[in-house]
Parts: sequence; C-alpha cells; structure tokens
Amino acid sequence: MPGLKPCADDRGVAPAGAEGSLRRRLLLGTLAWILASLLVAGWGLGRLFQQHVERQLDAELGTHLNQLAAALALDADGRPQREPALSDPRFVRPYSGLYWQIDRIETPGELAAQRALLRSRSLWDAVLSVPADALADGELHVHRVEGPDGQALRMIERVLRPAERPEQALRLILAANEALVDAPVARLHGVLVLALGVLAAGLAGAAVVQLRLGLAPLARLRDALAAVHQGRRSAIEGRFPSEIQPLVDEFNAVLARNAEVVERARTQAGNLAHALKTPLSVLANAAAGDEGALAKLVAEQVGLARTQVDYHLARARAAAAAGLPGQRTPLRPVLEGLLRLMDKVHAERGLQLRIVDCAPALAFRGEVQDLQEMLGNLLDNACKWAATTVELRCQQDGEHLYVLIDDDGPGLPEAAREAVFARGARADEHAPGSGLGLAIVRELAELYGGSIALEASPLRGVRAALRLPAG
Amino acid sequence: MRILVVEDEPTLAVQLDRALTAAGYAVDLADNGRDACHLGEQEPFDAVVLDIGLPLMDGISVLKRWRAAGRTMPVLILTARGEWHEKVAGIDAGADDYLTKPFHMEELLARLRALIRRAAGQASAELRCGPLVLDTRGGRAMVAGQALALTSHELRVLSYLMHHPGEVVSRTTLTEHIYAQDYDRDSNTIEVFVARLRKKLPPGLIETVRGLGYRLSCPD
Repeated sequence: MPGLKPCADDRGVAPAGAEGSLRRRLLLGTLAWILASLLVAGWGLGRLFQQHVERQLDAELGTHLNQLAAALALDADGRPQREPALSDPRFVRPYSGLYWQIDRIETPGELAAQRALLRSRSLWDAVLSVPADALADGELHVHRVEGPDGQALRMIERVLRPAERPEQALRLILAANEALVDAPVARLHGVLVLALGVLAAGLAGAAVVQLRLGLAPLARLRDALAAVHQGRRSAIEGRFPSEIQPLVDEFNAVLARNAEVVERARTQAGNLAHALKTPLSVLANAAAGDEGALAKLVAEQVGLARTQVDYHLARARAAAAAGLPGQRTPLRPVLEGLLRLMDKVHAERGLQLRIVDCAPALAFRGEVQDLQEMLGNLLDNACKWAATTVELRCQQDGEHLYVLIDDDGPGLPEAAREAVFARGARADEHAPGSGLGLAIVRELAELYGGSIALEASPLRGVRAALRLPAG
Repeated sequence: MRILVVEDEPTLAVQLDRALTAAGYAVDLADNGRDACHLGEQEPFDAVVLDIGLPLMDGISVLKRWRAAGRTMPVLILTARGEWHEKVAGIDAGADDYLTKPFHMEELLARLRALIRRAAGQASAELRCGPLVLDTRGGRAMVAGQALALTSHELRVLSYLMHHPGEVVSRTTLTEHIYAQDYDRDSNTIEVFVARLRKKLPPGLIETVRGLGYRLSCPD
C-alpha cells in the first residue's frame, strides 16, 4: 500500500534533547542570570569598599599632611629648621609603610629640579621620587609611586609657600603603603566571595527545585502520553495546570474523534459489505440452479466480486485503525474466543486445538478486531489443513510479540510458501474459502509493522509465525 | 425435519426456502428478529438458519434469547460482514456454525445436515437402522441397496424417526417437525404417512406405542 507505512515505530514521545530540554534551557538561563548578577554585585561591592578605604587613607594622609605643615618651622632662608615631630609612631619605624618627605621646588610653577630637604625616619635611606607635575598652591595631588623595599605607595602632595619666602616653595609629601588599603580589601573580598558563593548555591538550588516543581506536570504529561502511545490508556488522564489543560483536552478530543472516525469507518465498511454480499448471495444461488453459460459467468463473477469486496473492506478497515495510538489488546482472550469458534465449527473432525504456551499478560499494541482478523484467518487455515492437532504458542521478545500456529497437516513445500500470500491464491481450489485470508493477514501485520511467515512445523505441517508489536 | 430460516432479504429467503424444501425439509420463514425470536421460542425446530443483520432485533440477540430460554436446536448463522469478532460473538451467543455470504447453497445444506445429525447424536452422514439406510446428503432411503420411492412427507417422517431411533415419538411431535407453521396441519395424516411407510419398509421397523406414538426399533 503506497503512502501508508507502519507508523508504530516513529510515533514515540520525542526523547529529551531532541529539541533541547525545556528544563535544561530554563535552568541554564536562570543559572546564568544568577551568576551574572552576583558577579556584578560582588564586583560593585568590592569597588565601593576599596574606594571607601582609599578615601579613608587619603583623609588620614591629609590629616598627617596638615600636621606636617603645622609642625614645620622654617629658618630665614626658608629652609625647614628641624625635623618636625609627628604623633604617629610609624613615621619613626623604618619601612613602616607611613612616610613623609619635604622637597624644595627651585622655580615656582615649574619643576626644574628637586631635592629632598627632610624625610621621615621611616624612610631610612630611601628617597621618594615624585612624578614631575605642577601644582597650584594648596592643591592636593594623589599619586602611586614605588617606595622603599619595593612597597607600592599611595602618595599625596601639596605645595607649601611659606609666608616669609613665598618664592621658596616647598613640596610636602605624605605616603602610605597601599597594603594598608589592600589588606582590608582582600579580607573583604574573601568574605564577599564566601557570602556570594553561598548565596549563589542557595539560589541555584532554589531554581532547580522550582523548575522541578514547575515542570512536574510536564513530566506527568509525558508519562501519560507514553501510556497512550503504548496502548495502556486510551486518553490522557488526570488534571493539569491551566496552561496545559487546554492542550490535554484538545489532544483527548482528537483521540476520541479518531477512535470515533475509525469506528464509523468500520461500521460503514461492514454495512457496505452487508449491502453488497446479500445480493451477491442471491445472484450466486440463482445461477447455481442453472447450467447455462450465463449462469456460469454469473457464478464466476460473483466469486470475483466477493473476493474484491472482502479484500478491500478488510483493507479499508485495517488502514483506518492501524497506528491509532492508545490501543492495547490482551492476546489470550482473543485466542480463546477464536478457539471456541474453531472447536465448534470443526467439531465434526474432532480436532485437538491447544494453547501450549501463552502468558495471560501478553498483549498486542493494536486494535482487537484486527488481531481477531489476523489470528482468525491463520487459525482457520491451520484447522482446514490439520489432520488431528493445532497448537498455539505466544511469546514476547522485547518490543515484539510472536504467535506461532502449528498444524499437523500435509505441510506446504518451501517453493509454494510465498505464493499463498498472493491475493486470491488458494493452495487447494476445492477447499472452501476465498483465498484472501493470508493476503489480509500479511497486509494487516505489515500495517502494524509486523510480519507473517510460513515455515515447516515441528508437527510436520505448516507453522504460521506472526510477529506483531507488543503492547 | 423442520427448519426456521431467518433472512430479511426476500429473494434470498425465497431461494433458501426453495432449496431447503427441495432437500426435504419443512421450512418456516421469518423476515425480522422479533418474529424469529417468538417462533424459535414457541415452535420445535430441528435447525435454524439465522442471518445476523436483521431488522427490529439483531440475530445475536435473538440467539441469546433462545439459549436463555433453554432452546437447544442447532443454529447456523449467516454473516455478511465476514468479520471474525462477529463470528466469535455468534458462537459465544450459542451458534453452532457460521457461513459467510455469499455462500454456496450446497455448502449450506451440507452444514445444516451435519448440524442436525450432530444434534441427534449421529456421527455418520448415513443413518442406519437394520437393513434401512438413510443417506442424509442425498435425501434418499434405501433398503438393502434398493432406493425406496418416498414422497417428501414420507421422507420427512422417516428422517425424523431415523434421527431419533429407539425414542417414542408422538404424533404431535411428528406433526410439528414435518409441517411448517402455516401449513394446514392434521395429525391424522401422520397415521396415513406411517401406514404408507410401513408398506414400503421391512416389517416391524416402525412400532406403534399405544397412546404415545411411534418408535423406530432397529434390529442389531
């Protein structure tokens, strides 16, 4: 049948990752946001704190500068007389990290040369070298310079113009080791990283939990869909959140409508069969009582018409149903029903019909009438040819269900096994039957993605091996 | 032997009536489920040919009603749809065999004969009683290989007795089984048929059981 292929295998619920998992996308997005905002917050807080500490240090240096300026006593030449005493003991301890220095500026407004006039003890033998710049009176400049012992220093400078000798400007320099800033900043960074790390972990955990809770209905929906697909349910069951429920209702409605359409198609096919075959019966019977050429023609054509009607009706019914999701038919009750039928119909011959092995849990992923159609035709065939015994076995192997029907009849030569599947082929032209049974079985089995093969039976007759999707 | 044919298609019903009558059966016709149901419950039939698709009441329901009412006559169902679930439903409702339309009349006759024989506990298609042989397939009676010339009514009486050997069969029973319902019945005519049969058969085969009826007694 062109255009119609077994679709049982490619209707699976899309596996996670096919289009990317919704959960993963949401989770990655959330985590990226959490990370980005915490990084920005951490960086901002760090900057703020560093600026704060720097400003504090600058203020402290400014205070010291004022003290230095106040303690400065100049001689008549405008040179500092003696070392001014500042209160902070760090100005005395060598390389303590807190320094002052007084330079002379030779030419006002322009820095031609400089010489340190006085230095704090803490500088020991080092001299602070100040970048060349020009300062207006009273202006404060902040610099970063390298100090003694390789210390990175934060330095402020101011030009002082003594009242006595205004042309003899002095440059007052206060410097502090930047470690005084870095140490508290580093400490804060440590605390900040820890705190923000804990916060990030907490937020990420919350995001995971929220996603899991939020997406739980989707997981439920997926399970319900799988159940429908495998035929365990005929509709999606349960209540879902209002965002999903309309989808579920719509899907269920489509499923129900599908089933209804199939049912109607079957009924119509049946009605058509009834409407056609009764007149065919009348024609055949009328012709049977006559020996003429016309009667012969009628009998022949009625037989042909019957074959065609049977075949196309079976096909129409099957095509309507195969691949419809949500169908699952337990195997054993169908087999037992058919065996009751065969037992009665073949009662005369005293055939032994046995189910040798068929677990009650085995089920076919498909429609009950289609299963009956396949098994009925195969059983009918087996009973027709069997001498005394027909045996039935069913097994499941993963996704597949196997039904084996053995008879102890005359068997079928290997060369003839394929030919009997042709439409209208009959191994015995005198045995009753339309010769359609096996063709229909094959058509149905293939619609469901299964197969049918005839083999040699251990009972010496024919074994029909039917493979179907397991439900 | 009396057969009920339930078929709503008039031409097919007539064909069945004709073929069955020609084969020596008394035939009653019903063209809807409700009539069929009443007839089957009230009249003693030896077999029923029952179409499944019927107006007023479908064949399966009719059959279930009969079986529920304890009617055990063999029933052959005719199905037009040819679906297995319908056949299984028919058998589970109590049918004994099925035929799919369109069918060959010979096949229907053969199945019907087999059903009637089986219902009477007879295994062979040829019923024997001493020198007397009834070939159910051909509807012929023979004594020592010589075919007997019997009218259809004589054949029906003999056939019923042959299907129930050793049983006492009342005149009423015989009447019910050789005449269709709308036939002008007269149980006295049974005596006439039996008397004619006795003349054609070896003596002593048909006994009269006083006040009860007749019995076919077969010498071993």
